[in-house]
Amino acid sequence: MSSVALARADEREFNPWPAVIFVGLVVLAVLFLAPTIGVLLSSLKTTKEISLGELWSLPHSLYLDNYVKILSDPAVHTYLINTALVAAPATAASIALGILAGYVFSKLPFPGSDLLFLAIVSGMFFPPQVILIPLFRLFNGLGLIDTLWPMIFVHTAMGIPICTLLMRNFFATVPSALREAAILEGANEWQVITKVALPLSLPAVAVLATLQFTWIWNDFLWPLIFTHSDAMRTIMLGLVFLKGQYSVAWGVQGALSLVASLPTLLVFLFFQRYFIKGMTMGAVKG
Amino acid sequence: MTGLSLKGIHKSFGTVETIKGIDLDIQEGEFVVFVGPSGCGKSTLLRMISGLESVTRGTIAIGERDVTSVAPAKRGIAMVFQSYALFPHMTVAENISFGLRLGGVDKAEVDRKVAEVAETLQITQLLDRRPKQLSGGQRQRVAIGRAIIRNPDVFLFDEPLSNLDAALRVQMRLEIARLYQRFGATMVYVTHDQVEAMTLADRIVVLNEGRIEQVGSPIDLYNAPENQFVAQFIGSPCMNFFSANVEHIDGERCLSFGRETVSIGQDISVREGDAVSMGVRPEHLSLDADARKLFEGEVDVVERLGNETIAYLRVPVSSEPVAVRVPASREPRPGDRVTVGLAEGQVHLFEPAGACLGRVPA
Repeated sequence: MSSVALARADEREFNPWPAVIFVGLVVLAVLFLAPTIGVLLSSLKTTKEISLGELWSLPHSLYLDNYVKILSDPAVHTYLINTALVAAPATAASIALGILAGYVFSKLPFPGSDLLFLAIVSGMFFPPQVILIPLFRLFNGLGLIDTLWPMIFVHTAMGIPICTLLMRNFFATVPSALREAAILEGANEWQVITKVALPLSLPAVAVLATLQFTWIWNDFLWPLIFTHSDAMRTIMLGLVFLKGQYSVAWGVQGALSLVASLPTLLVFLFFQRYFIKGMTMGAVKG
Repeated sequence: MTGLSLKGIHKSFGTVETIKGIDLDIQEGEFVVFVGPSGCGKSTLLRMISGLESVTRGTIAIGERDVTSVAPAKRGIAMVFQSYALFPHMTVAENISFGLRLGGVDKAEVDRKVAEVAETLQITQLLDRRPKQLSGGQRQRVAIGRAIIRNPDVFLFDEPLSNLDAALRVQMRLEIARLYQRFGATMVYVTHDQVEAMTLADRIVVLNEGRIEQVGSPIDLYNAPENQFVAQFIGSPCMNFFSANVEHIDGERCLSFGRETVSIGQDISVREGDAVSMGVRPEHLSLDADARKLFEGEVDVVERLGNETIAYLRVPVSSEPVAVRVPASREPRPGDRVTVGLAEGQVHLFEPAGACLGRVPA
């Protein structure tokens, strides 16, 4: 057999591994998506269809009353607004503070800054349950229980470590010569941050905005601890308290679950083109 | 009038002293190049002049003004960085005008000045592009444009050509020379490339381990190095060095150099028996038959540069290879046995510690 023919035979030799990996990924994707699909299907079914136990079957008809019920429910409006009033400022504040702290740790180190950085980042490793009671007592003493303020403060504070870590790592990839060039041109540090560093850090900020907003929006624990009236509930609490005492309206809950997920999905879609860039350009290096 | 004055400049990073006492006056409109090996302190010195690095001890004055503690932007200086330091998210026009816009200059005036600078540097067609869409030479011009537009008293260049390929480096070197001719501003240029130093400078400051070894015009440093370090650093290939002892032959003080003796006259301050180091430039050695014969050698490596050839020889009188510049028409080959002679020129004499004792004609 000629060497050319042998080479062509080698090229045609089948490598099974790409196919194996693809199948594995498809299986994982199906497993991850299955609960969401189940909820979606439930949200389009009547209570009777759901109670017949056909979770994965397609609905007999497109039943939108579940969505009509929750979207016209004033309580759901309140839950969504409360969640937005917590998530938006807490996300913005934690990212803003993370940017400032990350910039200083990266570009303006001072004696003890490494230790201080470690102390801040170590806050990520505290389980919330450990500080739950002291925080409750603190906010109770301040008369802030059953308001949105404790959740805003706590989410801001708990977001600072991860935001500082990501932004510090990102700013470390920005050449110091850019800062020096800006300073020589007459910029003060605030102008260096706002006119040079921050515009360059949009991918990292997009990653943080997406992650922080999602974490805060989906939070259940802190609203459970710090609120007790229906007027102050957030959407995740609203989901749980939607259960009746003797029965659960699965279709309505399914619809509310999906509606509750929409804002985080929209945020991700909005920042998506920055998200992948931010994840791969060292924004999330440890 | 003095354009820039450095007096008693010291710089320490913690306990490590990197600049050990620099005194230097640069005249207004002079082009001075700081040159030296890596780690000699030339970039640190430049950064102290710019204000990006603080001064541990000493004063810096620009014109009559003490700027030692003055903020970088208020010193009247502009700097071109090795990495260009162009803002990647801004267009060329925005990069050039960054300082003016920060200073609140009227938009119409900003646009006018940007257009003027772009015209000077022939980058008008690039104003709307971003740095990543530019070539290395174009980026360098934009960086220079950002410096020019502020009309500074002193231009600082921190190895601006080191990121460019050889051909572009020559082209940009000419552009910088033209820039200097056009503006006549005081320029301080840092490089480790002695060709840049020799071709651009009015005066060269040779730095080593945080100290000035010698300051002078390029030709002075080449022909009259004050110590062995400068002699070795300036000139490519570098000067050849041979050890010798002072002898008294026929009533004259001489140095034995291979088969020859070199008379050193009475002006050189040495005594019989003193050990000296003799320095001879590669162009003052010859493989020609009619040169004064010194010693035998064997060709080790040959570098053919087109207009000339450098032959590196293994010789018994030196443990280091000896470089000899020969005409391109002569074609030595590795392994050839040759006789090295002394062509017309100078033999430089140095103390063992390095200071120059003087020069004698060959």
